[in-house]
Amino acid sequence: MRGFFRIAFLVFRKDFREELRRKENIAVSVFFAVLSLVLFYFSLDPTQIDLTTAGAGFLWLIILFAGSLFMGACFRKETETGTLHALLLAPADRGAVYLGKYLVNLLFLLFLEGLLLFVAFILLDFRAGKGLWPLCGVWFLVSVGYAGVGTLLSALITQVRGGEILYPILLFPILIPLVIAAGTLTQAALAGSNVWQSQWLRLVGLFDIIFITASLFLFEYAVEE
Amino acid sequence: MEFRKWIVVSWVLAALGNAAALWMIFGYVRTEVTMGLVQKIFYYHVPSAICGYILLGICFVCSIGYLWKMDPFWDVIAYASAEVGLVFITIVLVTGPIWGRAAWGKWWVWEPRLTSALILWLMYAAYFLLRLFSGKDARTARISAVLAIIAFFDVPIVHFAIKWWGNVVHPKHVALESDMSLTFLVSFLGVLLLAAALLLTRVQGTPRRL
Repeated sequence: MRGFFRIAFLVFRKDFREELRRKENIAVSVFFAVLSLVLFYFSLDPTQIDLTTAGAGFLWLIILFAGSLFMGACFRKETETGTLHALLLAPADRGAVYLGKYLVNLLFLLFLEGLLLFVAFILLDFRAGKGLWPLCGVWFLVSVGYAGVGTLLSALITQVRGGEILYPILLFPILIPLVIAAGTLTQAALAGSNVWQSQWLRLVGLFDIIFITASLFLFEYAVEE
Repeated sequence: MEFRKWIVVSWVLAALGNAAALWMIFGYVRTEVTMGLVQKIFYYHVPSAICGYILLGICFVCSIGYLWKMDPFWDVIAYASAEVGLVFITIVLVTGPIWGRAAWGKWWVWEPRLTSALILWLMYAAYFLLRLFSGKDARTARISAVLAIIAFFDVPIVHFAIKWWGNVVHPKHVALESDMSLTFLVSFLGVLLLAAALLLTRVQGTPRRL
């Protein structure tokens, strides 16, 4: 068990450093997210629409698209350089490799969300007030599940020809319940209601548990040689 | 040879079942008073939905079977049942709006069960696209099996999410008159036999080499 977490940590550290050094994945995804936010503003008539309500849903779409841009690439360089074989030889359960990759993706999502929220506060006059901490909690829980499915499917699609274009269409239908919950909870948090008692939060928790457990088991089959 | 014989038998049974169902729908059962003729679409709409779910359940079980045994046989059934399941969910999504237009005055109502069917359709259409575009090797079979299992785990979550999110239009308990429930039973059998015939034909038509 200790070996499992050690390998997971090593994979995490390796990928984390690599992403920071290469920067292109982070830079492109973050830029795409900010760009989408600006486009969102131009696509609406801000005098007619309450930007905080509309933004609650829209921010999640941006996180979904920008996140998939980043996560879709997390196994690509391993298959391109053939290092996936080496990685799979690690003397531990393959779930450890998944966990390492997963943590990098989760960290990126949280970073992206924080940044996006900051930009939304400035550009859209987004008002959270007392709802800020519930909002952060909700977004964290949603990201946990999102990164879980995203990392597993990323491992799947890097093995097939033309997988990159398939990634979003495989990923998004599965995420629909999570998107509904995220949008509803974000609006509730911004409206100042108690989200911790919400049945939607329990749904998100269920989603997280089911998909992370399933992914840890299925990853072995997802990358088998 | 033996398998081919079963396919012929299944098609004959499916034809008989559907002929009986159509006769009962148009010649035997009463026309519903409030909705009129369009209500008869119910006899194919609901059985198609049930069959769609059954087939996707078969796809899930066979996907597990494939990952477990790595026998292409399981993969062939999984692929075939997803494909036939997709056809039946498509039937649900086509007949639903036709019925809805007459009953609710709108082609599409974002109603829980119809919306769940739509999301299911999106998931399995994605599965289908993956299989269509990524070759016919063992790797695709393995990847598809993982995807099918993940997608199936999502079905109950989708169910609850949509139920809480949407507004209920579908009646909870349908009290059917006896001639109506008999007709429903026969048409359900007809659709089930058709699904079986399509599945067997599709399994037979797929080369079992990976």
